[in-house]
Amino acid sequence: MAVKAVTASTTVGIGKSAGWTRTIVLALVTLIALSPILVIFGLALRPRLYSDVTGPTLETFVYVIRNTDILVWLKNSLIVSVIASCLALFVAAPAGYVLSRARGGAVSLYSMLIFIIQSFPIVVFIIPLFIMLSRLGLVDTLAGVSIIYVASSVSVACWMMAAYFDGIPTDLEEAAWIDGCSMFGAFLRIVLPNSLPGILSTAIYGFLVAWNDYLVALVFLRTDSRFTLPVGLQTFFQQNQTDWGPVMACAVIMLAPPVIIFALLNRFFSIGGIGGSLAGR
Amino acid sequence: MAEAHAISEGRRLTRTSAASRAGAQTGRKATMIGLAMPSILLMALINAYPLGFALVQSVHNGGLLRLGKFIGFRNYLNVLTDPAFWSAASFTLLFTICGVFGSWLIGFGLAILLKPQFPGRNLFKVLLLLPWIVPIVVTSMSWNWLVATPGSLLPQLAETLGFGQILFLADPTMAMITVCLFKIWISYPFMMMMGAAALESIDNSVYEAATLDGANSRQQIRYIVLPMTARSTYISWILMTMFSVNDFATIYLLTGGGPVNATTSLIVLAYRSVFQDFLPGYGVAISFMMTIVLVALSLLLFRQVRKAKF
Repeated sequence: MAVKAVTASTTVGIGKSAGWTRTIVLALVTLIALSPILVIFGLALRPRLYSDVTGPTLETFVYVIRNTDILVWLKNSLIVSVIASCLALFVAAPAGYVLSRARGGAVSLYSMLIFIIQSFPIVVFIIPLFIMLSRLGLVDTLAGVSIIYVASSVSVACWMMAAYFDGIPTDLEEAAWIDGCSMFGAFLRIVLPNSLPGILSTAIYGFLVAWNDYLVALVFLRTDSRFTLPVGLQTFFQQNQTDWGPVMACAVIMLAPPVIIFALLNRFFSIGGIGGSLAGR
Repeated sequence: MAEAHAISEGRRLTRTSAASRAGAQTGRKATMIGLAMPSILLMALINAYPLGFALVQSVHNGGLLRLGKFIGFRNYLNVLTDPAFWSAASFTLLFTICGVFGSWLIGFGLAILLKPQFPGRNLFKVLLLLPWIVPIVVTSMSWNWLVATPGSLLPQLAETLGFGQILFLADPTMAMITVCLFKIWISYPFMMMMGAAALESIDNSVYEAATLDGANSRQQIRYIVLPMTARSTYISWILMTMFSVNDFATIYLLTGGGPVNATTSLIVLAYRSVFQDFLPGYGVAISFMMTIVLVALSLLLFRQVRKAKF
C-alpha cells in the first residue's frame, strides 16, 4: 500500500522524485542555456591564426599573459572584490540583525530607506561621488572603487542577512541574555557563529556584485595598471575585435574566479530567502 | 514572524522583573541603533549625500565639475518635451516587462522542474546558475560573437534553415528582441533561486496530500504552488523590475543603445547625457524621474503584498 502511494507520487506529484526522462530534458535545456558560455571556451582553446597546432591548445592564454596586463587586472579585481565583499558583510550583518529582530516605526523607516536606496541607479551617484572621492584623493584607486561597490551591494546584502537571521530561533539569544550576556555580546558570540552559511552567502553576493560591475570601474579607473578585469578586458576587446581567441582567453580568466567560488561553495549560497523575508516585513 | 516575536517577548517578561526589563529595553534600543550605525553611516555618505548633490545638480545647467547657473525645473521640462526621452521610456518599459516576466516564467518553471529528486539534479541546479554568475562583460562578448555580424553563428544558422538573412543587432526590431532575450538569459537564474526557496518553504506533505486527492501536476501548480508562493513571487517581480530599469551594462555592452537608438533605455540615455554630452543636470533629471516612478510603484506594490492574504 505504502509502495503504491510512493509510485503514484513519482508519476503525478511535483514534490517527489522524477526519473531519467527529466534528466535528459534538463540536460538539453542546460546545454542550450549554457551554449553562449561553451562558445567562450571553444574559442579560447582554438589555435591562433597561422599556428601549426591543430586541436585544443592553451597558446591564446600564453599570448594574452605575455602581451597584456591581464594578470595585473586579475589581481586588481581580486583585491577590489575581496575588500568590497568584506566591507559589505561588516555593514550588512549587524544591519540584517536589526531588520530581523527589531520592530517599530523607526525600523520600518530604516527598512524603507534601504529599499529606496536600492532603487536609485548608480548613474545618479557617480558624479557627486567622483567629486567627493577626488577631494579625498581616492579617484583612480582600488580603495575608492571598493567603497562604491559596497554601496551598490549593501541593500540586497542586508536583506540576505535578515532572511538568514529570520530562520534562527530567538530562544538561543534569549538564553544568553538570561545568563547575563549583553545583547551585542549575544549577537557576536551566539548569533553570528550560528550564521556561517548566511555570512558566506552574503560575502559571495558582495564579491559577485564587485566582480561583475562595469560602469563604476569604467568611470573611476584611469590608469592602465589600476584597471580591473572588466575595464581591461573591454579595452582589449575594442582593440582586437576580430581576434576572438585572445579576447576569449581573457574572458575565461575573468569568469574563472566566480565560477570556482560557486563550484566550491554553492551549497552555502542562498539568495532566495529574501523573497519571504521582505514579504513578511 | 511578528507573532513568534511577541510570544518570545512574552516568555521573557515572565522571567525578568519589571525594573530590570525597563533597563534592558533601553540597552536593547541602544544596541540596535549601534548595530544599524555602520549601514546608516555608509548610506549617508555614499548614497544620501551624493543624492542631495545630484538633486542640486539637476536644477543647474553646469558641466561635469562646475555646477553652473540655477535654472529651476528647466532640465525636467526639457527632458519631458524630448522625444528621445519618451522613446527611451517606452523601450525601458518593454525591456522591464520582458526581463521580469520572461525570466520569471523560465526561472520559476525550472525551479519546479528541479524540485523533485532525479539523477543529476544537483549538478543542473548549479550549472543553470552560470548565466547569472559569469560577468556580463564576458557574456556580452560571447553573445556578440554569436549574433553580431551576418557571418556569425546564429545568422548563418537562420539562413541555412531558410529564415533568410536576419540582422540580430543591426535591425532595430531584432536588436530590441535580442537585448530582451539577453536580459532574460542573464536574469532567469535569479528567479530560479527565488522560486526554489519559495518551493522549499512548502511542506512536502502538502503535495502528497494533493496527490492522494488525485490532483495532477498542473492542478498542483495552479492551486497549490502559485498561491502559496505568491508573496515571494510578487517580491521577486518588484526586485527584478528594479534591477531591469537600472540595468546599464546589459544594454550598453551588447548594443551600445543602437541601432539608431532603438535599444536606448532611460539609464543608457542618462549615462550618455552625463558622460558623452556632458549635461549632468539633464542626465540626473532623467534618472530622478525614472526612479521616482520606480519607487512609487514598488512601494505601492509592497503595501499590496503585505496587506494581501493568500
